[in-house]
Amino acid sequence: MEASKGADDFIPAALAAFGVEADEIELAVMDAAHEIFWPPILELLSLDTSVSASEPAPDLSQAPPRR
Amino acid sequence: MSEPLDLSLRGQAAAIAAGEIDASELLQATLARIEERDPAINAIVETFPARSREMLVAAPSGPLHGVPVVIKDEWPLPWRAQRFGAADMLAKTSPGESGPYRALRDAGAVIVGVGNMHELGSGSTGNVSVYGPARNPWNVERCPGGSSSGPAAAVAGRLVAGAVGADGVGSIRYPATYCGLTGLKPTYGRSAMDGHHMAGVSTTIVSGPLCLDAGDCRLLGSVLYGGELRAGEASDLRIGIVENEVSEDVAPAVREACETAIEELRQATGGEVRKVELPELSAATLATVLIANSESLGSVTPERLNDLDPSLSPLGRGLLKYRLMLPAVATVKAHQVRAMARQRLAEVFEEVDLIAWPTVPAVAPPLEAPLVELPSGTLTADAANVRGGALANLTGIPAISVPVGSSEGLPIGLQLQAAWGRDELLLDAAEALEGANGRRWVEAAPPVPVDQAEA
Repeated sequence: MEASKGADDFIPAALAAFGVEADEIELAVMDAAHEIFWPPILELLSLDTSVSASEPAPDLSQAPPRR
Repeated sequence: MSEPLDLSLRGQAAAIAAGEIDASELLQATLARIEERDPAINAIVETFPARSREMLVAAPSGPLHGVPVVIKDEWPLPWRAQRFGAADMLAKTSPGESGPYRALRDAGAVIVGVGNMHELGSGSTGNVSVYGPARNPWNVERCPGGSSSGPAAAVAGRLVAGAVGADGVGSIRYPATYCGLTGLKPTYGRSAMDGHHMAGVSTTIVSGPLCLDAGDCRLLGSVLYGGELRAGEASDLRIGIVENEVSEDVAPAVREACETAIEELRQATGGEVRKVELPELSAATLATVLIANSESLGSVTPERLNDLDPSLSPLGRGLLKYRLMLPAVATVKAHQVRAMARQRLAEVFEEVDLIAWPTVPAVAPPLEAPLVELPSGTLTADAANVRGGALANLTGIPAISVPVGSSEGLPIGLQLQAAWGRDELLLDAAEALEGANGRRWVEAAPPVPVDQAEA
C-alpha cells in the first residue's frame, strides 16, 4: 500500500483521537504543515538507521567518542 | 569622537572606562534613540528606564561596565517574565534571574530593553509576534529574521551596540544575516542558558551574541560564556565546502558573494579550500526540526491545546496542534540521524578547520509574504533557511554568520562552522575575513529607519 501524503483523513482522525478541536484556519495551517513535513518524514522512516552506532545521551558540547 | 551611540560595543566599553563617555548620559541617549527609532522597526517590546538606571548604579567594574544592551524575550528578568513572543507559550514563567541576565549584570552591562522575537521561536523570519512583527532596518518592509528578530533589528538600527539572542534552529544566524550583523551560535552548553524555560530539556538551544562585528561578538560572547574567548590568528585555514543544495540552490547574488568571501578568507589566511561530503545533511535538517519540536511538547496536553489563548496566531495554534501528530518512530530515527551526523562531522573536522556555506539562500523576504526565489523554485523562507542552519543545532557544533555582501540593498551572510569547542576559531576567521574585505560589510549601516505610519 502506498503511503498517503494527503492530510484529509489523517489530521481530522488524529485530532479526534486526541480529543483536540481545531477551527478552519488551524486545519488549513496543519494541512500546509503536513504537506511540508510528511514527505521527508516518510523518507526518514524509509531509512534503516539501526546501522548507525547510536549515541545514547550524547554530550553535545564535545565530539562523539571515536568508533 | 564619533557619536557614542554609533560606536561599537567595545568602543562604548572602552570610552566609558577611559572616562570619555559618561555612562548615565549614554543610557539616557540610548533610551532617547529607542524612543525615536524603534517605532519604525518594533525591535524593542519593553523598556524599563528605572530598572536600567538601578542596574547602572549597581554596575560593577567589568568588561561591559555601563554599556547598554538588549536581551531577547526568551529569558526572565528579575522584574519581568519572558513571553517568548507569544500570547500563550504553554509554559509557566515568572520573573527571575537567568544565566544571561546574571552574566550581563556581573559584567557591568545595563539592560535597556527586551527584544522582540518570532512567536514561540518557531520561525526564521520574525514576521509573527504577539507584539507585531519586528522590521528590518535595511528595509522596513522586509523581514528582520528570526527568531531573534528584535535583538538583530535593535543592533542593526543602532539602538544598542550588542544584544543577546538565542539559537535553537538557526535563530541567531538567520537574523544576523538578514540585518547585516555578526551572530555567534556557541558550542552547545558553553554559553549561559539557565533560567530559560527549556533549559535542561532542549538539546538544541543556546544563548549567543548579535553584534556589529566579530570583535564585539568576542566581547559579549566572553561575558555569556563566563570566560574570555581569546583571540588568535587564523592561518592556514582548511575551509570545507559542500556541493549540495545549501551552497547551490541559492540566489545567484548570494552564491557569488559567499564564493567571493570564501576565496578572500582562503587568501587572507594562506589556506586552502577542500570539498567535503555531508550526505546526512538533508536528513539532519528534518531530524533537527523533529527533535526541537518534540522537546517542547512536555507542557502540551489536549486540554491545554483546546484552551489556547485566542490571541496566539492561527499559525502558532495550528503548528502546536500539528506537533501532536509527529510520529514517535520518526523522532527515534531523528536521534539516530543525529548520531550519524555527529560521527560524520567528527571525521570531516579531521580534514578541515571550517565548513562554509551561505547562512541563508536569499536576502530578507517581504514581511507580508516571506517567500524566496531559488533556482529550484519558490520556497517559504523557513523551509529554505533551515537547510543551512539546522546542522549546528543538531550536532552541537559552533557556527557564526558574517556579513559578506549585499543584494537589492539587503545584506548577505556567510556561515562558518567549526568543531566542538572551537568557537574562538570562528571569531578569528570572521576577523580575518573582515580584514580581507576592508571591513566593508561590517561597517555598512542601514538608513535611519522611518516610521511608515508617520512618513
